[in-house]
Amino acid sequence: MMYTCRCIKLTAIAAATLAALATLTPAQAAEDEDIVQLTKPESSVEAGIGYVNKDNQRFGQYNGLKDNGVYGLLDLNVVRRDDATGTWLKLSGRNLGLDNRELRFEHNQQGNWGYFVEYGQTPRYNPLDVNTRLVGAGTSAQTINGAAARYNLEMKTQRDALSLGAEKIFIGGFSVQVRFKNEEKDGARMYGQGTPGTINFLTDPINQTTRQLDVVLAYTGERLQLSGGYYGTTFENRNNLLNVTGGITGQTPMALPPDNQSHQLYLGGGYSFTSTTRGTFNAAYTHQTQNDTFIVLPTLGGRTDLGGVVDTKLLQAGITSRPLPKLSLLGNLRYEDRPDRTPIDRYNTPGGTQNGNNEPRSIRSLTGKAEAGYALPMGFRLTGGFDYDQRNRNFSPVRVVSAREETEEKSWRAELRRSMSETTTGALSYVHSDRDGSPFLTTRRNDGTFGANLIAPPHLADRKRDKIRLSVNWEPTEELSLQFFADEALDKYESRTVLGMGPNNGKARNYAVDGSYRFSPEWQATAWYSRNETRADQATCATLTVDAVTGAMTCPASQAANLRNVGDAFGLGLHGKPLERMEIGTDVSYSDINDEYRQRALTGAAVTSLPDVSTKLTSLKVFAKYAIQKNAGIRLNYIYDRVSTNDWTWTNFTYSDGTSVFQNPNQKVHFVGVSYFYRWQ
Amino acid sequence: MKKDRTMKNPRHTIAIVLNTMLILMGVVLLFPATIAAQPTNPAQPADTTARKDLVLKGDAQCTRCHDADGEFPVLAIGKTKHGTVADGRTPTCTSCHGASETHINKPAGVKERPRPDRVFGKKSNVAAEIQNQACLTCHQGGKRIHWQGSIHASRDTTCTSCHQVHTGHDKVRDRATQAEVCLTCHKEQRAQISRPSRHPIKEGKVACSDCHNPHGSAGPSLMVRDSVNDTCYTCHMEKRGPFVRTHQPVTENCAICHNPHGTTTPNLLRSRPPFLCQQCHEPTGHRGQVAGVPGGYSPGTAGTIARGCLNCHTNIHGTNNPTDLSGERTFRR
Repeated sequence: MMYTCRCIKLTAIAAATLAALATLTPAQAAEDEDIVQLTKPESSVEAGIGYVNKDNQRFGQYNGLKDNGVYGLLDLNVVRRDDATGTWLKLSGRNLGLDNRELRFEHNQQGNWGYFVEYGQTPRYNPLDVNTRLVGAGTSAQTINGAAARYNLEMKTQRDALSLGAEKIFIGGFSVQVRFKNEEKDGARMYGQGTPGTINFLTDPINQTTRQLDVVLAYTGERLQLSGGYYGTTFENRNNLLNVTGGITGQTPMALPPDNQSHQLYLGGGYSFTSTTRGTFNAAYTHQTQNDTFIVLPTLGGRTDLGGVVDTKLLQAGITSRPLPKLSLLGNLRYEDRPDRTPIDRYNTPGGTQNGNNEPRSIRSLTGKAEAGYALPMGFRLTGGFDYDQRNRNFSPVRVVSAREETEEKSWRAELRRSMSETTTGALSYVHSDRDGSPFLTTRRNDGTFGANLIAPPHLADRKRDKIRLSVNWEPTEELSLQFFADEALDKYESRTVLGMGPNNGKARNYAVDGSYRFSPEWQATAWYSRNETRADQATCATLTVDAVTGAMTCPASQAANLRNVGDAFGLGLHGKPLERMEIGTDVSYSDINDEYRQRALTGAAVTSLPDVSTKLTSLKVFAKYAIQKNAGIRLNYIYDRVSTNDWTWTNFTYSDGTSVFQNPNQKVHFVGVSYFYRWQ
Repeated sequence: MKKDRTMKNPRHTIAIVLNTMLILMGVVLLFPATIAAQPTNPAQPADTTARKDLVLKGDAQCTRCHDADGEFPVLAIGKTKHGTVADGRTPTCTSCHGASETHINKPAGVKERPRPDRVFGKKSNVAAEIQNQACLTCHQGGKRIHWQGSIHASRDTTCTSCHQVHTGHDKVRDRATQAEVCLTCHKEQRAQISRPSRHPIKEGKVACSDCHNPHGSAGPSLMVRDSVNDTCYTCHMEKRGPFVRTHQPVTENCAICHNPHGTTTPNLLRSRPPFLCQQCHEPTGHRGQVAGVPGGYSPGTAGTIARGCLNCHTNIHGTNNPTDLSGERTFRR
C-alpha cells in the first residue's frame, strides 16, 4: 500500500511536470519555432501563369515575353544548411518558364570547400520586323531574293551559358578557385552589304562559342593579401565567312569574326604597412593570338593566316596613407603596354589610299593620380587631386583619318564633402582637364600627295573640360529623405584648322531629385525626377577639295550640327501593407527622350535639318501579395508597358533588294501574372 | 524496509528514473537559461545571464533588446553566411560593433543610452574608413584587395551603403536587384538603362558587377578586367581581333563610340551615323555628306537611313578578309 501510495505520489509529480510541459512547452516550442524561422535559411518556390495580351517588339526583347499568349512562371530557391558543419546546399532557379531562365546548384562547406554549376539563357529578339525574300537567313550561305515571295523574318540571338566553379580554402589563409564558363551564342542579327547605289539586306549568321577559364590562387593574411593566377579565353566562330548569292559583284565571301584566344598570367596584391598605410599592386601579362585561316587567299604574299599577336603588359601600383588623423593621401600609377606584334605583310596591290599592308594597332598608356584629403570640422572633408593620362599609339604611314601619336591629359580636381551628419550630407566637386599631345601626323596618300588634314577626332583632339558636380542628401525627419544631384560638363575641342571642322563643343548636364517618405512602418512612397542632356556641336564639309601638292584645303559648302539628346524621366512608387496578410505595391516610370540634330549651313547652300526623334517609354508595375497562411500565399502581378516613337529611320525605306523593315511606332503591352508561393525551412 | 523494498522493486526503480527524467526535462524546458553556457562577458548585467545566444556567440547581451523588429532588426543574420557559426571565422556582434560597454550597460545619470562603439549606416557618427575596417578585417582579400584607393573608398562610401548585413537577402548581391542599389547614387545611369538600346540590366541578365568591381580594381572605371576593352570582350570576344584591317578606335576604347549604359541610337552608339563617324573621318568624298532627309534612298543619304554608314561598312570593328577586291580596308567585306 505504501508502495502503491508512493508510486502514486511520484506519478503525481510526474503528472504535474507533464502538465507543466503540456501547458508551457507549446509556448516555449512556439518561441523556438519563431527563432528558427527568424534565424535559419529559408526556401521558397513560386509557380504560376502569365499572359501577354499582344505581340510586341520591345517589352519582350530580353525576357521572351514577346508573343501574345500564356507563359509558365516558375521560380525556386531551395536552401539547406547543416548547422553542425556549416554546409550549404542551394538550388535556385529564376524565370524557369521563360526564355531568360537561370538555374544554379551550389554546394559548399563554408570556410572549407565548395563548387557550383550554373546555367543561364539570355535571348535577344530583334526589335524590328523584317519582310524579305532572303534565303538562308542565319546561315553562312545566303541568297538575295532567293525566295519566291516575301516573308516575315524574325531574328533572334540567344546566349546559353554554362558555368562551373570550385573553391578550396586551406589553413593559413591560402585558397584556390577555379571558374570555367562556356557560352554558346546562336542566331541571326541584321547585317548587310553596300556600295554606292546599292544596299542589300543580309543577316549575320551567329554560331559562336566563348570560353573563359580563371584559376586563382590567393593568400589572405592580416597584412598581406595576394591573388594571382591564370585567365584564359577562346573565341570560336563556326561561321567565319558568309557566301552571298545575288549580291553586289565582288562582295562575296564576306569575312566574319575570326577565332582568337588569349592567355593571361597575373598577380595582384596589397600590403598594410601600418594600420593607416597600405600599398597595392597588380601585374599581368597577356598573350593574345589570332591565327584563323583566311577565308580566301590574299592577292599578294603567301600567308594563309594573319599570325596576329598582341602581348599586353600591365603594371599598377598604389598607396594610401593617413599620416595624420585628419589627413589622407592617395597615389596610383598604372602602365599598360599593348603592342600589336602582328607581322606586317603586303596582302594586296597598293592603291591610292592604302599601301596594301595590314595595319597593326598598338597603344601604350600611363595613367596616374594623386589625391589629398583633409578632415574639417562638422564632418566636412576637403579633397584635392591631380590625374594624369598619357597615351601613345602607332599609325600606319598611309591613312585616310587624321592621327596623332601621343595625347596627354592633366586634370585638377577639388571636392568638399560632408559624409557624416544626422540630417545633411553631400558633396561639391570641380574638375578641370586639359588635353593636348604631339603634332597631328600629316595625312598623305600612298603616292605621297596630301590627303585631307582637317579633323581632330574627339579622342585625340586638344580638349579642355570643366566639370562641376553637386549632390545633397537631406533627411529632415526619420520619415522623409530627399536627394538632389546635379552635374554639368563642358568640353571645348580645338580644331586643326580655321575651318573649324570636326567636334567643337560638347556638353553634358544631369539633374535628379529623389524623395522617399515613410507614412508608417507599413506604408512608404518614393518619387524621383531626372533630366539628362548631352550636346555635341560639330561641323563637316560637304565638298572638301585638297590640293594634292600643297595640301591646301577649300570647303565651299560646310554645315554644322548641334546634336542634342535630352531625356526627362520620373518615377513613382508606393508600397504598403493594407492588411496584416496583404502587401501591395506599384511603380510607375516614364521617360521622354528627344534626339535633335539642328543642322545648319555654315557656308554654301541651305541645309534642311533632320527631323527630331521623340521616344516615350512608360512602365506601370503593380503587385499584390496575399498570405493564405503564414508561409504560403498568392501573388498577382500586372505590367503595362508602352513605347512610342516617331523615329523615321526605317520609314519609307526599302533595301535595294526589296527588303523592308518595320518599327511599330506605338507599342502597348499588358501582362498579367498570378502565382502561388510557398516557403519552408 | 521501505528503502530495501523500494530498491528491490524494479517497477519502482523505473518509475523513479522516469519521474526524475521528466522533472529534469521540465526544469530544462521551464528554465532553459539555468543550464545555458556561462556568459562570455562577466560584466554583462544580471538579466542577460538568463538568456541564451540565439545566433552568434555571445549575442544574448544584444538580443535581449534587438530582435527581428524595431529600428535595428538583427536576427536575420542567422540566415546568412555571417550566421553560419560552424565556420569558425564568423563574427560576433562585438567583432563588428565593438565591445560597446556603455551601450550595453547604460551609465547612471545618462539620459539616452549611448550608441554602440561602431554604428553603421547613413546616420553613423563613425568615419567611413573605420566602419569599413570592421569588414575589411575579414574581407580584405580577393576582389577587395584594391578597395583602398578606389573611387568608392575615397568618396567615403561605406560597405553598408550598398550591403545589408542583417538580412537574408542582400539586394546588391542578387543580380536581379543589384542595379536598384547602384542606381540610388548613379542617377545618370538610372535613366540610361531604360533607353531603347541597352543591355538587359532591367531583366537581371546583365548586372553592374559583370563589368564593374565596386570594391576596386586595377582597371579604369572599376572595370572587372584590366581595361574597358578587355571587360567588353568577356561577352563580345568576336570584336577582339586583331584583324587584317582593324578600326583604330576599336582597339583603343569601345566607349569612344558606345555608351554601354544605354542610348537611343541602336547598338549603344553614342550618336547616330553619319554624325558619329563624321567626328573622326575626313570629309572627302561621301564622308562629308549632309545627313539626309528621310523618305527614300539615294547614295547621298545612305549614311543616315537604315543602319547609316554601317549599311556598307558592315564589318566596322574590323575585317579579317585579306583581299581588297571591294574595299575591305573600309570594313565593307
